Parts: sequence; structure tokens; C-alpha cells
Amino acid sequence: MPDQEAWRDLATVDELTMSTATIGQAYNYKVVRQFVIATVFWGVVGMAMGVWIASQLVWPEMNLDLPWTTFGRLRPLHTSLVIFGFAGSAQFAASYYAVQRTCQVRLYSDALAAFTFWGWQSVIVIMLITLPLGYTTTKEYAEIEFSGAVWMAVVWVAYAVVFFTTVVQRKTRHIYVGNWFFGAFILVIAMLHVVNHLSIPVDWFKSYPVYSGATDAMVQWWYGHNAVGFFLTTGFLGMMYYFVPKQVNRPVYSYRLSIVHFWALITLYIWAGPHHLHYTALPDWAQSLGMAMSLILLAPSWGGMINGMMTLSGAWHKLRTDPILRFLVLSLAFYGMSTFEGPMMAIKTVNALSHYTDWTIGHVHAGALGWVAMITFGATYHMVPKIFGRAQMHSTALINLHFWLATIGTVLYIASMWVNGITQGLMWRAINEDGTLTYSFVEALQASHPGFIVRFAGGVFFLSGMLLMAYNVWRTVRVADVALAQRDAQIA
Amino acid sequence: MEMFFDGLGVVFLWLAVEYCLRRETADSLDEASMVPFADDPEVARRVELATGKPVKAVAPEEVKPGWVNLDM
Repeated sequence: MPDQEAWRDLATVDELTMSTATIGQAYNYKVVRQFVIATVFWGVVGMAMGVWIASQLVWPEMNLDLPWTTFGRLRPLHTSLVIFGFAGSAQFAASYYAVQRTCQVRLYSDALAAFTFWGWQSVIVIMLITLPLGYTTTKEYAEIEFSGAVWMAVVWVAYAVVFFTTVVQRKTRHIYVGNWFFGAFILVIAMLHVVNHLSIPVDWFKSYPVYSGATDAMVQWWYGHNAVGFFLTTGFLGMMYYFVPKQVNRPVYSYRLSIVHFWALITLYIWAGPHHLHYTALPDWAQSLGMAMSLILLAPSWGGMINGMMTLSGAWHKLRTDPILRFLVLSLAFYGMSTFEGPMMAIKTVNALSHYTDWTIGHVHAGALGWVAMITFGATYHMVPKIFGRAQMHSTALINLHFWLATIGTVLYIASMWVNGITQGLMWRAINEDGTLTYSFVEALQASHPGFIVRFAGGVFFLSGMLLMAYNVWRTVRVADVALAQRDAQIA
Repeated sequence: MEMFFDGLGVVFLWLAVEYCLRRETADSLDEASMVPFADDPEVARRVELATGKPVKAVAPEEVKPGWVNLDM
């Protein structure tokens, strides 16, 4: 009998994620459900990959003496899986969910929406196969080779068509500000991806960029910084402007400020890339421009953070009982922290110490774990019961436990990388009276070993939380109420 | 060169914000901020009670099945 029940549960999940039975309803929740499940799946795989490569820095034997499992090949796979697999799927899910509900129309074209899901998953599978095999452009966050990059662009254009046509078809007078952020994220990422991937293919899996030297580096970091600025910030701010008000049941603190926030962020972010190339062959004026724009960027970043935080005005007491809201608010706190740290690190004299050290890795993870992953967790816990027809998640206690595991993991990660980064920076620049280096590179590496262990522990904490989330989502989804899910999609 | 780009950025920002807010009033911005609650009459009532501001809540229309979801 338990077997029969399990099969019935699976049939319910299958009906909600795979069948075409939901077409006649007001909202297309099927594609949202698919992307939510993909978010959890790629989150587990991508973060496990991160923990593995963190273990390689503690115990080099974990490279397994195989070319496919060396740090150099798995590190780009880790970043690709968490950025495009986990965060990308979360963006698709959140934008499709929010745009339908704020425009009060069904997504344009069920078929095209389904194409974006299967197309995007195929892109991640291409990364999963080709990167360990050593096929890479060597450009950070853009390692996927030419043919994969072209396919990725096709899927992205389909995404843009679905999203923007839905906005055009809206029944509401206003285009809600969250959709502005989603829209900017989609447009700018398309531009960055195409320009940075312009290359001459020599076969299906090898190409050479059309740029060379300092120009190539500038284009790459124009892309690289804005992959952070638009893929991991602007889109997630769209998520914040929808899910924070919804979870608090209060409108955004200042709608006027959200519009100023949008335009200021869009105006400034695109110029900040050169701060990745301080003290290089890049012209000095470009470096200074990147530094100046990065410093000014602090204003809109904090404007947005404060706007999100102040949305809780009069409702702060909800934090005591609502762990989902706690995830959302903590993500804003980490957003504020990392967008303060970023401009500071862009100052040339600070960068002279921090660049090429673990401080940079810590900064990236303050944003990736603290901001991107935390707000994704909050949004996912908000969406799952609604799109799978449940009153709430299977276990609120598990959400609470996940919150603390994720927080402890993030703090351990960031703190260890700060200590390591400053240690490395100071040891590399230390010189003796005769001008020779005080420390060899290996001595700095040995001094970093305790930090690598703490970082690995932080990663294990964070991954444990992610596994709890996967279990909680699975227990919620397997008892999904088809009738309730369909009714929710009818009147939302 | 740097000053030129900085100035260009400020002018673009000012024009963009002015353009977006050109016809907006305090009421219309309030209405826009309530959009996330407007498709959920039950939540809309709770938000109205908490904030004292009206939410124009409507249930979305049912759409016919088909390859595209456009009113043809």
C-alpha cells in the first residue's frame, strides 16, 4: 500500500510539472514549477561542486589525479552551475511568476515558455559535460564554447520574447517596478553575452575571440562585472521588489525611490568593469573611471537596500515568526554589506592589497551566498506552496534550521576569506631591506591553509542547508494538491 | 575624458527619472506600489487594512487554450 501511495504522489507531481493540463488556466504555473524544481536541483549540484573544490584546496588528493576533476576544470563548472543553473533557473521562475501576477495576464506562448525551460536546462547540461572535458573559452563566467554560447543566445532571445510580450499584453496600467529590473536584466545580459562571445570558431568546440590584448581584457571584464551587476543583482532586485512586499503584506517603502534606484543602477553599473583591471595595461583613465563609477554605485545600491528594508516598517514583528521573511531581510543585509565592500575594493590603493587574493573570493561569496542564494531561498519558499497547491511548506522548523545553517555557513566563508586575503596581500608585498621578497608564494599558501579549512566547513554548512531545502520542497511537492494548485492559478 | 563620461551619466540619469515620473502623482505611485496585491482580493483586503490605502484588486480573466495567449 505505501508503494501505491508513493506512485500516486509521483503521478501528482508529474501532472503538475509535465502535463499540459494547466493550459486553460489564467496563469502558466507549469513553467514556474519546472524552473523552481530546476533551481533546487542545480543548487544542490552546484554547491556540492563548490564544496568539492574547496576540499581540493585543503586536501590536494581530492583532485583524484584525473584531468576531468582537477580544480582548474571544476572551478568554472562550479561557477557556471550556481550562476546559470541555480541563479538562472531562479530568475526564470521568479520573473515568470511575478510578471504574470503583476500584469494579470498569462505568459505569452506556453510553447515558447516551455522551450525556454528545456533550452536552458540543455545549456546547463552542455556546461556540465564540456567544462570537465576541458572545452573552455577561458573567459571567467563565459567559459561555454562558441556553439553552446550561440544556443544560449537563442534560448535567451526566446525568454525576452516571452517576458516582454507578456508585459505588452498586461491588463494593469502600470508596469510594476520589479518588471523593470527583470526587463533590464534580460536586455543587458543579451547584449553582454553576444558582445563578449564574438569570436571566430575553428571547430564546434574551439573558437578565438575577435578582440586581443587589453581590449579583450576590457571587454571580458565589462561582461564579467556586469554578469554580477545584471545577472546576480538587477534581476534579483526585481525579485526583491516583488517578494519582499508580498511576504510582508506591505507595499514597497517608496515607489519613487525604486524608480530612482532603477535608473541610477542602470546608469552606473555598466561603467564599473575596469576596476577588475587596476594596475594593468588598461589605460589609466579607464581604470580611474571604473573606480569612480564603482564608488558612486554605493548610493543606488544602498538606496535599494534601504527601500527593501524599510518596506518592513510597522511589520518588523513578523521577523519573529516568519523564517521566509528572515531569509529575505538577511539577503538585503548582505546585499548592503557586499555593495559597501565592492566600492571599497575598487579603490586603487585598497585593490593593490586585495587583488588576486582570497579577499576577492570572500567578497563574491558575500554576494553569492548572502544575497543571491538567500533571496532565492526566500522566494522559493514563498512560491512553492502557492504553485503546488499547499497552504504552507512541509516544515517551518526545517526552514528555520536552513536559515541558521545558511547564515553560519556564509559568515564562516566570508570571515575566513577576509583573513586569508589580507594575510596573502601583506605577505606578497612584504620586502626585506635589500629589496628581496620576505616570503615565497608557497609560504603564503601554507599560511592560508587554516582559512581553507574554515571555508570548507562554511561550505558544508551552506550545502547542508540546501539539502534540507531540497528535502522540504520534495515533501511539499509530493503531496501537492492539484485542485488547489489549479484554483490558485485561476484567481491567484 | 573621465569628467565627460561622469557628466553624461548624470544627465542621462536625470532625464530618465524625469521622463518616468513626468505624469505621476502621489496617488498614482501609491496605486503602482499596490500592483503586487492587485490580483489577489483576499491579500488585497489585508493590505488595505494594514496600510489604509486602497488596492484595486481584480481577478484576472480566464484565457482560452492555444499556442499563444493573445486576444486575436
